[in-house]
Amino acid sequence: MQCLRPLRHSGWDESKRPHAYHGTLLLAIQIAQVELKNMGKASIVHGAQALETKVALLLHVEPENPKCFAEGMWDLTCFWEEDEKRAGSADQYSFIYTYQNENSSECAVTALPAAGGKRLYFCRFSQTQLFVPLDIRVFQDGLLIHNRSLFVELVFLLDPPANLTVTSTGKQGQLKASWLPPSLKYMSDSMMYEVSYAMAGSHIGKVEEVQASSELILRGLQSGTKYKVRIRVKLDGISYSGYWSAWTDPVLMETMPGDLDPLIVSLSLIIALVLTLLSLIVLMSHSRFLLKNIWPIIPTPESKFQGLFTVYGGDFQEWLGHSTGGLWLRPAYFYSEEFPAPLEVLSEVSLGPALPPKASEALGEKGEEEEDEDKKLKRVDSALMEGWRETPQEHWLMDQLRAFHQHPAPRSQSSLLESHDAYVTLNAQNHSGEEPLDDILEETLPLQVLFASGRASSESRSDLGSLQQSSGSGRLSSQSSFEYPNHTWPPKGPGYTYMAVADSGVSMDYSPMSSSKIDDIGKGVIYTNEYKNEIPAHRRPIGTPIHFAF
Amino acid sequence: MLTHRLRCLPASHVLSTGTVESRKLAKVKGLFALLLMLLEWTRPGLPSPMRPICDLRVLKHFIEEARDAQAAMLTCKEGRGLPEPVTVPQTKVDFNVWERKNALEQAQEVQSGLWLLNQAISSLRASVTNTALQSHIDNSLINIFRIGKVLRSLNIQEYTPPAEGVSGSEETWRVSSASELLQVHVNFLRGKVQLLLSNAPVCYQGGS
Repeated sequence: MQCLRPLRHSGWDESKRPHAYHGTLLLAIQIAQVELKNMGKASIVHGAQALETKVALLLHVEPENPKCFAEGMWDLTCFWEEDEKRAGSADQYSFIYTYQNENSSECAVTALPAAGGKRLYFCRFSQTQLFVPLDIRVFQDGLLIHNRSLFVELVFLLDPPANLTVTSTGKQGQLKASWLPPSLKYMSDSMMYEVSYAMAGSHIGKVEEVQASSELILRGLQSGTKYKVRIRVKLDGISYSGYWSAWTDPVLMETMPGDLDPLIVSLSLIIALVLTLLSLIVLMSHSRFLLKNIWPIIPTPESKFQGLFTVYGGDFQEWLGHSTGGLWLRPAYFYSEEFPAPLEVLSEVSLGPALPPKASEALGEKGEEEEDEDKKLKRVDSALMEGWRETPQEHWLMDQLRAFHQHPAPRSQSSLLESHDAYVTLNAQNHSGEEPLDDILEETLPLQVLFASGRASSESRSDLGSLQQSSGSGRLSSQSSFEYPNHTWPPKGPGYTYMAVADSGVSMDYSPMSSSKIDDIGKGVIYTNEYKNEIPAHRRPIGTPIHFAF
Repeated sequence: MLTHRLRCLPASHVLSTGTVESRKLAKVKGLFALLLMLLEWTRPGLPSPMRPICDLRVLKHFIEEARDAQAAMLTCKEGRGLPEPVTVPQTKVDFNVWERKNALEQAQEVQSGLWLLNQAISSLRASVTNTALQSHIDNSLINIFRIGKVLRSLNIQEYTPPAEGVSGSEETWRVSSASELLQVHVNFLRGKVQLLLSNAPVCYQGGS
């Protein structure tokens, strides 16, 4: 058996533990003598432990001497501490207590050693009277050392509540603490409880007070965390009062695992939705750009060759042979600004059996109304093709043109010019024969065709142009430029009006231009294109189409 | 008969009991109690059985006001003596003794004590000059009256004083100072009155 055992103080802060005292066994025996009839033997030790804590508590809290506390309705325990040097045996002390309007009584003093060389002197008496002043006087060897007046019902120091249980309420962040109130009659309505709860491992906790209850619901807790809960009790101070009891041993309990906070879930869903919408909008607005980069379109020339792939399966030669009508349309595609006009070939002069009559017949019928362009173009095409071969006729035409230029006649009086429609003259130029034009290089012999717009009367041009062709040269080149009437295209010949023809081997573009007749030309916009194409003459197919843009 | 006038300093000193909050709470509770009484008085017709007032907060309010009165009296520096000793009830409670008494005896003890206190404090009021203290004493008297009402609501018999007086009873003693008187008043309310009210059988009939 241990005779000496230090006091245990059940509190969070161990640094504030008051000094311990020894001699628990003796005290236990003392208690057993006084309260054996009320308590079972098994609870004696428990009672002694509780007493230890109470004494330690009061030593810490109560400044007056003797320190007294009531544990129930029937008894009062008083004690005081003395230094070793002043301490004497228990017999030296006398404890006298007097109720108001009554005689004095004496209580037997017992002494117990305490830590630090001190001694504790106890006096315990029962059959107390409440609600009446009690005078206590302590004498040591006849000398009054302590004097105190108190009310017994105001110095209660109860045992901590028993059976503290913490359960889950079934709701998030809540725990229910329930306990057994101290079994004191008449006082259950006056009890005040303090519940302290903190997260396991943390020293920072919260306290909640509750009055005259045996359970408390703790709210606002974190989900899925362990909490330690403890409780202490005190009387509320109206009728009964006292000191805070010792804390119970902490009880651990874990809160319910947290569901996703609905607010957080909804907010995150909304944010995700908004981001998705934004990204979709951005994607849609840049879809073309993205598609171009991610899935670039393979360029195909199909748009330029209508029917080449679909009808002829890519056979270019066949397509060339069968789709002249479509080709005729292509100048219109390029020269969208110019209105197509029927083509009339000068036919008054009999140039030969082939070209003029046919051309004139074909083109003589020009009406104010628009005729079928395709037919006209076809006729002209055939005529021109024949004209390509007929160089003497071309020479004649050139002479005619020169004559016209030298003797400029108003349009209306010209016998050659019967209409304001387009005139096409073909002028094949031999390398040796013709005088070279000033600025013409060998490589850049333009083919020039005269055009006039029949529809736009204000823009009618009745220029004569000459078509020059280099048959010997394997190169066809043309110069074209977008020019206005006052464009300074270098004149190719004295008094000649020229039409620049662009032959790219695939298409030929023509644009009217004139040298000396520039002023007479209507204020129309002349559109020219320049291409360079090198096709050997022998390779060039005979049926090289000449495209006219109207 | 020489009338001994009590001279007290104005009660501007800080009372030793009661914080500002408790005073506000006390006022609220007083208002509640007053409302309770007024409702009862304004009820027309025959006096019907009152609803039992089992809430002990009413008594707690009375106790606090009695404490205020006692504290106010303690601030008096001079003239605390009563003109003549008055009989006051014993306030001590020995639970062993108390529990041996039956309900009727307990009721009788409380009612006679209240009557005595009423007499004593009424005589005290006549000799107090300080106006603040007078208001406290008036309050105490009104509270005693209200406690009587509460007891009546709990079907506790009223006390009829015996013709010859009660000064010889063992449950009484005599005090000669005003502060002692008011302390007896406080202790009596805290003790016997509270025990009687908290254990009134009427309050426990319907419940557990």
